[in-house]
Amino acid sequence: MQHVDPSLIKGLTIGLGAIGPAIGMGLIGAAVVGAVGRNPEIQGKILSTAFIMIGLVDAVLAFVLLILFTTK
Amino acid sequence: MLMPFFAFEVEPLGAQPLFKLGPLTITNTILTGLVIGAALVTTLIMAARASQIWPKSRLAYYVESLVELMRGMVSELFGDEAMTARYFPLLITLFVFILACNLTGILPGIETLTYHHTSLFRAWTTDLNSTAALAVLTMGVVEVHAIKTIGFRGYFQHFFTHQPWKPLNLFVGLLDVFGELMRLVTLMLRLFGVIYGGEALLFAIGAVGGNLGWLTMLPIMFLEIFFCFVQAYLFMMLSASYLVMSTSMHDQEHSVAETRVAAGTA
Repeated sequence: MQHVDPSLIKGLTIGLGAIGPAIGMGLIGAAVVGAVGRNPEIQGKILSTAFIMIGLVDAVLAFVLLILFTTK
Repeated sequence: MLMPFFAFEVEPLGAQPLFKLGPLTITNTILTGLVIGAALVTTLIMAARASQIWPKSRLAYYVESLVELMRGMVSELFGDEAMTARYFPLLITLFVFILACNLTGILPGIETLTYHHTSLFRAWTTDLNSTAALAVLTMGVVEVHAIKTIGFRGYFQHFFTHQPWKPLNLFVGLLDVFGELMRLVTLMLRLFGVIYGGEALLFAIGAVGGNLGWLTMLPIMFLEIFFCFVQAYLFMMLSASYLVMSTSMHDQEHSVAETRVAAGTA
């Protein structure tokens, strides 16, 4: 294999790794807006569940960052 | 050629040892954890002393409001007052301690004060050992609670149903056991990854900013504070829902099995 610039690989890591969490966050946001629009009286309950989901999705991006910053 | 963006040293993945206390090596994360723990215990004891029916002290008022809020969330999830009273102390301790440890990462002086060329303090949750300890503690409590509530037999049936010799049940049971192990691993990796990755990101953005590093770091710092809260809340709520799931799924399965048996005999 030819010599590959490590910064190219790092750029690809964060670029490709951010796709999944971004789509996930968008889906969560759409679902939350829809749910609050349908029944606004349980907004607090929906938002607390949404924060749990955001935390779960955000962990994927955190793993990407972890790989990005710990590889030389 | 290395681009200037990556031409800086991020703190190493493992915690750095500071000094030896007999056979025990004290690392900078352990030291920070001890300091934070002592500070929290002192503050909360002061709040508990000042607590009364008509709170005169501001600290007691804020701590009581936090506990009330969290208790409402947890009891909503459990739906059972006895279980809430039993497990709420553990859950609120996890939340407060993890939140405090996450937020120490963005205090001034952390990772900049040095002692023999290693940083003296480092946020406790940026060490995989500490989050692994938390995850093992939580999952241990979950398993003990499950075995105490539904017994060894019920615990076994929770994974392998009541007919473990059938190949499909065996396969699904093995998958469930693997899922239980993955819960442990994800619980520790998620907290560690988000906090460590966030701090490395903060460092990198500061390096990109150059002389204006303080300005570029500011929005990322707000993001970081938000994720500190989300992760502490998530750890607490996931522990609570694992506690609920460890027994409630059994009831469901049991009732399904019972109805199946009833249908078979009828």
